[in-house]
Amino acid sequence: MEVVDVRPILAPFVSFLCAGLVFGFGRSIFWRRFFTFLAAFIKMALVLSMLPGTLQGVVYVYQFVEFTPGIGIGFRADAYGMFFSLVSSTLWVFTTIYAIGYMQGDRDRVRFFGFFALCVSTTVGVAFAENLLTFFLFYETLTICTYPLVVHAETREALRAGRIYLTYTLIGGGFALVGAVMTLNAAGTLTFAAPGILGLESGVGTLAVIFLCLIIGFGVKAAVMPLHGWLPIAMVAPTPVSALLHAVAVVKVGAFGVTRVIYNVFGVELLQQLGFATPLALLAGFTIVAASTIALTQDHLKRRLAYSTISQLSYIVLGAALLTPLAATAAVLHIANQAFAKITMFFVVGAITRTTGKKYVSEIDGIGARMPWSMAAFTIASLSFVGVPLTAGFITKWYLALGALEADAWWFVLVLIASSLLNAGYFFPILHRAYFRPAKEPWPPLEPGRHFETPKTLLIPIVICAAYVLLLGVTAEVPGMPGSVAQVAVESFFAPRGVGP
Amino acid sequence: MTSAVGLVGGLGVVSSWWPGVAVALPLVGVVAVSVGRLSERWRVVALVAPAVAALAVALAIVGDVVAGRLPELFVLHMTPTLWMVLRVDAPGALYGATVAALGLLALVFSFGYVHRGPRWSRYFAFLMASLSCTLGVAYAGNLLTFLIFYEAFSVLTYALVVHEQTPEAIRAGAKYIAYILVGGSLVLAGILLTYFLAGDLTFVAGGFLAADVSRGQLLAAFWCFVAGFGVKAALVPLHGWVPDAHPAAPAPFSAVLSGVMVAAGAFGIMRVALDVFGADLVRALGVASWLTAIAAVTVLVGALLAIGQDDLKRRLAYSTISQMGYLTLAVSLLGSGVMAGALVHLVHHAFLKGTLFFCAGLWIHAGGGRRVGELRGIGARMPLTAAAFTLAVLGMIGVPPLSGFVSKWWLGVGMLEVDAGIGLAVLLAGALLAAAYLLPVVYVVYFAPAGPTAGRSGREAPATMLAPTLVAAALTIVFGLGSHYGGFPLDLAQLAVAAWFGGG
Amino acid sequence: MTGPWAEALPWVIVLPLVGAALTPAVAVRHPRVAGFWAWGVLLVTAVLASGLVAELLARGPFSYELGGWAASYGIELRFDHFSAWVLPLAVLFVVIVPFSWRYLDHVMPDERRPPFYALLLLNAGGMIGFCVTGDLFNLFVFTEVVSLSSYALVAVGGRGLAAFAALKYLFIGAVSSLLMLFATAQLFVLTGSLNMADVSLGLGEIGSGTAVMVAFAAFAVSFMVKAAMFPVHVWLPDAHAIAPSPVSAVLSGMVVKVGIVGMLRIYQIYFGAEVLELGAFNLALVWLGAVSIVMGAFFAIFQDDIKLMLAYSTISNIGYIVLGLGLASPYAVIGASVHVFNHALIKATLFLAAGSIIHQTGFRTLSDLRGIARTMPQTSAAMAIGAVSIVGLPPTAGFVCKWYIALGAFEANQAPFGFALVFGALFIFIYYIRMLNAFYFQKPVHDEVAQASETPWSMRGPVVLLASLCLILGVLGGIPLNFVEPAVLDLLPFWGQ
Repeated sequence: MEVVDVRPILAPFVSFLCAGLVFGFGRSIFWRRFFTFLAAFIKMALVLSMLPGTLQGVVYVYQFVEFTPGIGIGFRADAYGMFFSLVSSTLWVFTTIYAIGYMQGDRDRVRFFGFFALCVSTTVGVAFAENLLTFFLFYETLTICTYPLVVHAETREALRAGRIYLTYTLIGGGFALVGAVMTLNAAGTLTFAAPGILGLESGVGTLAVIFLCLIIGFGVKAAVMPLHGWLPIAMVAPTPVSALLHAVAVVKVGAFGVTRVIYNVFGVELLQQLGFATPLALLAGFTIVAASTIALTQDHLKRRLAYSTISQLSYIVLGAALLTPLAATAAVLHIANQAFAKITMFFVVGAITRTTGKKYVSEIDGIGARMPWSMAAFTIASLSFVGVPLTAGFITKWYLALGALEADAWWFVLVLIASSLLNAGYFFPILHRAYFRPAKEPWPPLEPGRHFETPKTLLIPIVICAAYVLLLGVTAEVPGMPGSVAQVAVESFFAPRGVGP
Repeated sequence: MTSAVGLVGGLGVVSSWWPGVAVALPLVGVVAVSVGRLSERWRVVALVAPAVAALAVALAIVGDVVAGRLPELFVLHMTPTLWMVLRVDAPGALYGATVAALGLLALVFSFGYVHRGPRWSRYFAFLMASLSCTLGVAYAGNLLTFLIFYEAFSVLTYALVVHEQTPEAIRAGAKYIAYILVGGSLVLAGILLTYFLAGDLTFVAGGFLAADVSRGQLLAAFWCFVAGFGVKAALVPLHGWVPDAHPAAPAPFSAVLSGVMVAAGAFGIMRVALDVFGADLVRALGVASWLTAIAAVTVLVGALLAIGQDDLKRRLAYSTISQMGYLTLAVSLLGSGVMAGALVHLVHHAFLKGTLFFCAGLWIHAGGGRRVGELRGIGARMPLTAAAFTLAVLGMIGVPPLSGFVSKWWLGVGMLEVDAGIGLAVLLAGALLAAAYLLPVVYVVYFAPAGPTAGRSGREAPATMLAPTLVAAALTIVFGLGSHYGGFPLDLAQLAVAAWFGGG
Repeated sequence: MTGPWAEALPWVIVLPLVGAALTPAVAVRHPRVAGFWAWGVLLVTAVLASGLVAELLARGPFSYELGGWAASYGIELRFDHFSAWVLPLAVLFVVIVPFSWRYLDHVMPDERRPPFYALLLLNAGGMIGFCVTGDLFNLFVFTEVVSLSSYALVAVGGRGLAAFAALKYLFIGAVSSLLMLFATAQLFVLTGSLNMADVSLGLGEIGSGTAVMVAFAAFAVSFMVKAAMFPVHVWLPDAHAIAPSPVSAVLSGMVVKVGIVGMLRIYQIYFGAEVLELGAFNLALVWLGAVSIVMGAFFAIFQDDIKLMLAYSTISNIGYIVLGLGLASPYAVIGASVHVFNHALIKATLFLAAGSIIHQTGFRTLSDLRGIARTMPQTSAAMAIGAVSIVGLPPTAGFVCKWYIALGAFEANQAPFGFALVFGALFIFIYYIRMLNAFYFQKPVHDEVAQASETPWSMRGPVVLLASLCLILGVLGGIPLNFVEPAVLDLLPFWGQ
């Protein structure tokens, strides 16, 4: 049931406004923080206000401007878009708190927080995009807005990383644009529709090219191999940016795009007839294992997390490419599960660096004693990635494996098992070092006047996000939690043509 | 939420908090020991009290089950069709009580054994957490719940294996966790297949998988389970972690490891064979003889390798491998008498091996060393310990009227019932080999002239450690003599097999 | 039926021309007044233009006969959808002129201002006249007015190499003018009239033939030169190198568009003929356009001087427009036409912003201008927006045209060109990212840069306004479509659609 409502457009635009205010009034610490928080909170409030409706199957739409009939900028908050924006808006609040603490004393904070707020807005714009054009618009804008954050440090290394990042993402954007244009040409419309908008009548060749272009286009940000090269290099950015890029905004937007293409542009039925999803699934499977293998060899903490992210993102792609309801549930849920767990890890790594200056796995022996809460959070997140029951990651693993069986592709279960073991292989040694080895040299003591192992602004998001990982693991069936929204979304993907929005 | 009434052999299922209470109690100890401000004495109380309470609850549950009431508790809604649920039937009650009892003994022993130091709290926290999860395994009502607790305690026990943080311990820990994770993955694969085939995971005595689904998938699921649980159950050739983990871990934990944790793997195999597949399906699939072969090899190889071991704890570790093989052997024979014997053996072995490890720990603590050669004449200086050790050895070999004899008797009788000649042969060979690797130790302890260890501290062990040892040894006699009383292991075992084989 | 605004049609040409003539007189005492005078004239012209456009939207195309003489003897003025271009033209002038007031301080002595502004008005008038005339010879005359005033603007405002470059421009321009004259004469001979509508009818009767085609080709080449299309683009970079930034803005933004509008007019005229074999011609356009895109981008990347880089960027963008025309499918032509307008806007933004920076610091190369963003944040932001725009990233104006032309490529089953289009633009981003990195993320090397201040409001205002329009029109991309679509759709049969 569709309802015209201004909130889907209000959410991104209010944040845009706040971003502008950050740029304008940012010299004052108070106003800068105020508007940054305002952007995050308003977004979250708006999204939450639409949640009850979404759970009942209401879809909020708002047409902004039309170029010609069928092509325009439109916003539509369906269950899947709500899911994504819920996740991203929740995480934004925490990332903001963390960023404020982390960037204290750093330079160019007006620029940083201004673009930070802009990224908030564009992500929500992507989530609520009604058609491929709007999606593309915000997708590319996100690229532009994240660039200054990546090169924030302004060192040669950072600029180089920024160039590589832009090259990958803009070329990907080019492919996405071509794909979108071809879709319009073939389908006559760009509006996402639950059973897809393309049909066999466009010819297999054309459809193949469209699929390739769109998947490459969005796959760059989703770090599907071999398009993943930018991600480890972009680790040079400050940790809040890495957390943002790798848990919430950029990579998830890519994965979100890939799933939108599969479910809402092509549609499950068409892809099953065409068989395009199989190579994609195989590629995702390969990425899952290969990226985890590379992660084993990384000593730099953030790089290890980067490769882990690449691997985990392909869970989402795999889930979508399997084209079954259970696998789809896994794909959607993993957007949230991966986000919370990965962001916890990045937060912890950032806290470690801020507190002790250490950045490498080989340097953090015994840190469990100095930073127990942070390492406890890291442990929980690690367990989630390995897929230990009662954590969020187990739910994903469960659904994805069942989805693979449902799709008669049991070998992917082996891929998942291998991936879990690999995850254990590169996370458990970190835990072992942290807890079971003595420190090589004494840790810096607590600063005078501080009671906690690391500043509160860093610790609170860590603890809350880790708690959330556990929460997601046990509340999959509780109404109102992400699991229920995901189920509404999955139902819409697999509804037969002509049924409902 | 399926009502389980009528599914467990006609016995009545009742909704009850007690299983959850039992599982949760040890966690109180975890919290108590982690909070920094309690004094030493209060911490000890905070650990012992929940353990005692948990034991009490477990025994109460045994009472319930014997009376025909099966407690059930739905905990969490995990997926649209699956719950995390605790449901105690006879085998579960049996195993749970064993866990609680041995756990309490090990806990008390640990107070004397584990050095005061920065790691003291960590040890006890993880010990209690592991006990909690093992109780969860015992009381699990479906495969998902089983997996949840199984994985949890697999991960938690790592900290206990590497507790001493010596290079040996760390290596053993790495091996342990690697094996266990692979095993856990295989179990998960089996569970996924099962869910995919049957749509449900609730344990039903007599099995719930239908025979009309793809044979290939059934076989795949079965072997995934066997391999997965077999790692924990130390089936040869998946036993590689055992001989390293036992010596490396602190002695009280080795006792728990051998007594109940390796048994968890065997318990899992039991559950799978009898409550998921069901005896008929296992027979139909033709996997029984393969399983028998594996189990037989395990029993014999384990025993043979034990003979040559100089390190006492390693010798005992191989002994565990061998003894646990009996459980799998029994499962593969699919007979009611055999299974009763196996369940009983699970309980008795726990206390027998527990006693042996406690004694080994006492000798290490007294400076007597870990190698058998170093234990010469120690019987003179530590008579009570030696006596307990001897009692346990006799029990392991199967000397009447000790507990070990009861279990072997029932196993033997059961094997005769199903015409399992091989099983019988293995049983006898195992007993002989057990004698071969255990009696020499007794000889050395009592009759060998005192060696270089003379002059070291010669006193008997402190009471806190001696008491649990003696209690465990005493249980050998108690279980042996009182086996036919109601409420004792045999009683529960017979209830269990009635459900598995009798009622369908 | 025509409304009252139709009567204003001649005034929209007359005003700037007369204003040009009066400029020296007005500024005889105070040369700087010339600037304000020019602005005033253009403002009124813009108001008139908006009225004309409103009339167009309300009642459709209309015409006006000069002196009341009927067509074929008299000169007819016609305001149709392509003529609507005069409005953005006038508005851009209105925005650019205030910029020049302060900018010219460091470029030329005050005495040269009156001739400068007179030439500017002449240039504006010429372009407006070009767009609204209905007579072929008139078209030629106005083209010459535009060209000559452009040469003069380049020379008057320039320095150093001025003489040589202006001569080069003059020479090439002369060739193109001759071609156009020849073509006009040819058509006159063939059809006996100079009125575009009559010529069109006449061609319809004659049908195709060698002479007709030759005339067409001559027109095409002539306009191609004006539009700085490969391979006859060589005059543009030199001109930009020496012209002052406002002139560059006008040149790149509007003067070259004269060539495009001219082509569209020729298409309209030949519309009547209907039997022109355009296949080969379109193919040539497509390839030349594609080569322009790539070659322009390629050369731009290697430039260190900002203005030269922008000049090559113009060549590249004209390539887009030509490609769009050559693809000859509705979307492609719509996109090309919209780009006529959007590119003018974007280029104006870029040139004015670059000009501001050059004005404040005296430097023109990237390596010298490092770190300028700290001291001139608004101008740099405008530059950044312009850069993003010209690459065609959303949410800017440049994206809309790219979208349409790409769509047109696929519509016309020319998928490879669609790809080339999309990725060609990304290519040029290499330069812009170097520029943005230099401005924003590197430390200043010169004191002038480190201590530069933002421009005064008369310069900053136009820059900020233009940059904002780039963004606004990126989101409200549909506005130019209201004009372009009807015009293009009318011409569709011409392309055999």
